Amino acid sequence: MNSVNERYEVIVGLEIHAELCTKTKIFCGCKNAFGAEVNTLCCPVCMGLPGSLPVLNKQVVDYAIKMGCALGCTINRVSKNDRKNYYYPDLPKAYQISQFDVPLCEHGALDILVDGEVKRVGITRIHIEEDAGKLIHDDAFAGSLVDFNRCGVPLIEIVSEPDLRSAEEAKAYMEAITGILLYLGISDAKMQEGSVRADVNVSVRPRGQAEFGTRTEMKNVNSFGAVYRAIQYEAQRQIEVLEAGGVIEQETRRWDDAKGVNYVLRTKEDAQDYRYFPEPDLLTFVVSEQHVRELADSVPELPVAKTLRYVKEYGLNQDDAQLLASSKPRSEFFDACVALNKCDKKAVSNWMIGDIARILNERRIEVGDTKLTPEKLTDMIVLIEKGAISNTAAKTVLETMIDEERSPDEIVREKGLAQVSDTGALLAIVREVLAGNAKAVADYKNGKTNVLGFLVGQCMKASRGQGNPAMLREMLAKEIETV
Amino acid sequence: MELYRKSASQLAAMLRSKEVSAVEIARETLARIEAAEPAVDAFLSVNAEAALTQAAEVDRKLAAGEAVGALAGIPVAVKDNICTKGTATTCASKILEHFAPPYNATVVEKLLAADAILPGKVNMDEFAMGGSCENSAFKATKNPWDTTRVPGGSSGGSAASVAACEVPLSLGSDTGGSVRCPAGLCGIVGLKPTYGAVSRFGLVAFASSLDQIGPMARTVDDAALLFSVICGQDAAHDATSKPYAFSGIEEMRDCKGLRIGVPAEYFGEGVSDEVKAAVRKAVDDYRAMGAEIVELSLPSTPYALSAYYIISSAEASSNLARYDGVKYGYSGRRDGSLNDLYLTTRSEGFGKEVKRRIMLGTYVLSSGYYDAYYKRAKMLQRMIAREFSDAFERCDIIVTPTTPATAFGLGEKLGDPLAMYASDICTTTVNIAGLPALSVPCGFDAAGLPIGMQLIGPKWSEAKLLGAAKCYETAKGGFAVKEM
Amino acid sequence: MDFDVKHIAKLAMLQFTDEEAAEFEKEFASIVGMVENLPELESAGTLLDESDTMELREDTVTPSYPRDEMLKNAPHAVAGCIVVPKTVEQ
Repeated sequence: MNSVNERYEVIVGLEIHAELCTKTKIFCGCKNAFGAEVNTLCCPVCMGLPGSLPVLNKQVVDYAIKMGCALGCTINRVSKNDRKNYYYPDLPKAYQISQFDVPLCEHGALDILVDGEVKRVGITRIHIEEDAGKLIHDDAFAGSLVDFNRCGVPLIEIVSEPDLRSAEEAKAYMEAITGILLYLGISDAKMQEGSVRADVNVSVRPRGQAEFGTRTEMKNVNSFGAVYRAIQYEAQRQIEVLEAGGVIEQETRRWDDAKGVNYVLRTKEDAQDYRYFPEPDLLTFVVSEQHVRELADSVPELPVAKTLRYVKEYGLNQDDAQLLASSKPRSEFFDACVALNKCDKKAVSNWMIGDIARILNERRIEVGDTKLTPEKLTDMIVLIEKGAISNTAAKTVLETMIDEERSPDEIVREKGLAQVSDTGALLAIVREVLAGNAKAVADYKNGKTNVLGFLVGQCMKASRGQGNPAMLREMLAKEIETV
Repeated sequence: MELYRKSASQLAAMLRSKEVSAVEIARETLARIEAAEPAVDAFLSVNAEAALTQAAEVDRKLAAGEAVGALAGIPVAVKDNICTKGTATTCASKILEHFAPPYNATVVEKLLAADAILPGKVNMDEFAMGGSCENSAFKATKNPWDTTRVPGGSSGGSAASVAACEVPLSLGSDTGGSVRCPAGLCGIVGLKPTYGAVSRFGLVAFASSLDQIGPMARTVDDAALLFSVICGQDAAHDATSKPYAFSGIEEMRDCKGLRIGVPAEYFGEGVSDEVKAAVRKAVDDYRAMGAEIVELSLPSTPYALSAYYIISSAEASSNLARYDGVKYGYSGRRDGSLNDLYLTTRSEGFGKEVKRRIMLGTYVLSSGYYDAYYKRAKMLQRMIAREFSDAFERCDIIVTPTTPATAFGLGEKLGDPLAMYASDICTTTVNIAGLPALSVPCGFDAAGLPIGMQLIGPKWSEAKLLGAAKCYETAKGGFAVKEM
Repeated sequence: MDFDVKHIAKLAMLQFTDEEAAEFEKEFASIVGMVENLPELESAGTLLDESDTMELREDTVTPSYPRDEMLKNAPHAVAGCIVVPKTVEQ
């Protein structure tokens, strides 16, 4: 099977729909919120009442342009809205206000990291549009119920070029897009609430063939895992059809993630005729060059660029760098620590990926939800570097700093965590340990010099973790000869 | 003179001088409606109780010395495609027969804020599609000048109610001539404002890029008064509305220096000799008042009707797609599939003319035809607008007939959609170019039916158009009112 | 000029009896004939109109409508929702 698969190349393009986290809907002042009681976030505009008219929300345009800037797109400063006409009960006007031939952003690209390699994915376009309502299927009723709360929630649709070559790449791409949405603060990107969904276009072709195969589209795939599985399944299905001498039909299929299969929804013959035309209730709109520049300037350094910079400038390994960069609050915290320029950057990274990440994940909080500050973390690392506290003691300091306002110095003092470097005190411990471990001493004398580590451990234990391990080792090596 | 025959301006003056109370005006209006309706059939719903309550409130304010609005105590009939909160707004369609919107149109809010009295909603062609008011699902309104004839459309109820002195003022809507044509056929004044001058929020859409709400009245002053109340930007609700400071009629003692353009294309084939003669006579009257007459040509005019029917039907096909039996209005077969519900609702709920327009609009937007029809029509729209702005380099206003002929008989054109569409030939260009235009009476034909002339101006020139119309009205000693 | 009344009707979500369809077909021929009276015009490019543009709305919340008012005109509503015949996924 594998050898057959290797003869084919998988081609994937994604259309990602992301709900924007504006305060209000795209065409009216109703609140843009998830989870409200059915049909309570509605007005005549949301429900397409006769006589109602749309008025475009500026924030939606700004957010879309920001995404366009982040993805290196050309911004169409003169743009318009268009109607896409089709009938469905969740679409109260029987048309969706979208953008057809002049999307706000086009011709961009996104660099993603797949297996440590940078891969460039072309962005065809980004346009703004309104979301539809929700249909509720309940067996208690003979019919379906319609909740219009989601009508008019603003969406951007990000269309990629067919540049992705595997399910892994597609998943990495979708994760990267989601990361950027969060970095820009323009979407909650909550998969489980359906605020990011993808239409997945898949085709396969024999390796070496220049032209693309016929593609199929799977609508509304709504998690990274589902995108991965849907592509794996569909590519395999297409390969099997071709291997059996069949042809791929251009069609829309539905991915059933629970069952792990897809099935035909619409064939090419019943492709819909959406009759796009310019939305006559809205006029052309113009965004000033200056405003586009301001929006572009507000785009922060993005995860992939950050990852590569962490590797290059601070010598972090790529996995660590990617882990840090993938979260906006954590990378911002890291950057702030680095900016203080007090301690080793790698040490900061190790603490953040290690103990700090563990605590945050356990508590399901972000670093901003704790009392930890970049100043306090770097001060603590400086204490370690100076030999004032041991790593073991530092863990206690960290746990305390996360919950309390106090500085590491204060904590060390109050909890008596300072590392003992007083020669007299340490010597007493060393002598006591040597006296109590005759067998180890004997082993050492017989050439098993690695017992020294065990003896250092015993000394640390005896000093309740406060002894300076380097000094202890040195003193042990000297004293053992005198026993 | 009976109270009901008085103009809005006269009633306002009488109210201020306490010669009459708002409740007296409201009672007189309701009585007149009751008397005239059997012959005219202008109203779809009369709300006597609300009218009397509103009037009593105006009287209370006046008695208490509180400030009142510009239309205090003045009855205004509202076309039934303009949303009135909690009361039927049917668009004269079976599909919206029991629809009562949960909100007021912006113009209705403005009327109420100006202390106007709203006695009821008036008849129209279904969804404003038609030129005779016969496409109403409920009844045909009659022309007060000859009740065997149509009042014109689509704002036929608005025109007839004013012409029959049931109300001094009414609101109509104009997509291709729907205020001006019935105004012309009923011998009253009707203004189609500049596109964007009046908020469309709450006006049930026919063709969004062409629709405008306009005032109808028996005098130029009254039309200006109503316009001054309803115009202005509505940024929160209508993105196509524009800031507009209308400060009343431009005062003209005579017409000296006024350059009046007369485009040859509007006096050609298809326009009756009597209409041509009456409008030519009015142009001569203007010349006599000192105006300079400029003969000109608007060569794209013959294509305007095509462009109009393509654009308006395309938009209508989309605007009317929401009537699906789900959220409001008539609902068809509910025990079958979703598609059954959609198909039965729409096929049973819409009348024939509406279906024609939806079919035409769907066709011109459908895959493979968009460029040939819709896009070409939009390009032509720009050309027509450019021709007008070039023409306005040479003249201040343009005078044409409003309709190619006077009122035709009820039923006469019902079986011939093309003949019906042709009655819009003089008016659609104005909507296509987004311009303001006014229809004013300019005489009668041999059968005693009113003839209207159309004054067209550049965008935002309502003050000048109304000024020029008022000069003519004054010179004629006022417009004739039908005795009924 | 070529059009298929059945196909257009399907797009327009209208149904006609055979008799109605035949009548429409005839009328349509003349109506389409009329609207075909357009000059040859350059129709490349988009329909952007920079001479007539709109302002955008600030992102400020205005109250939604009470649900009862929004559902009052609905032919069939249950549990705060509008009811439609059972749908299969689109």
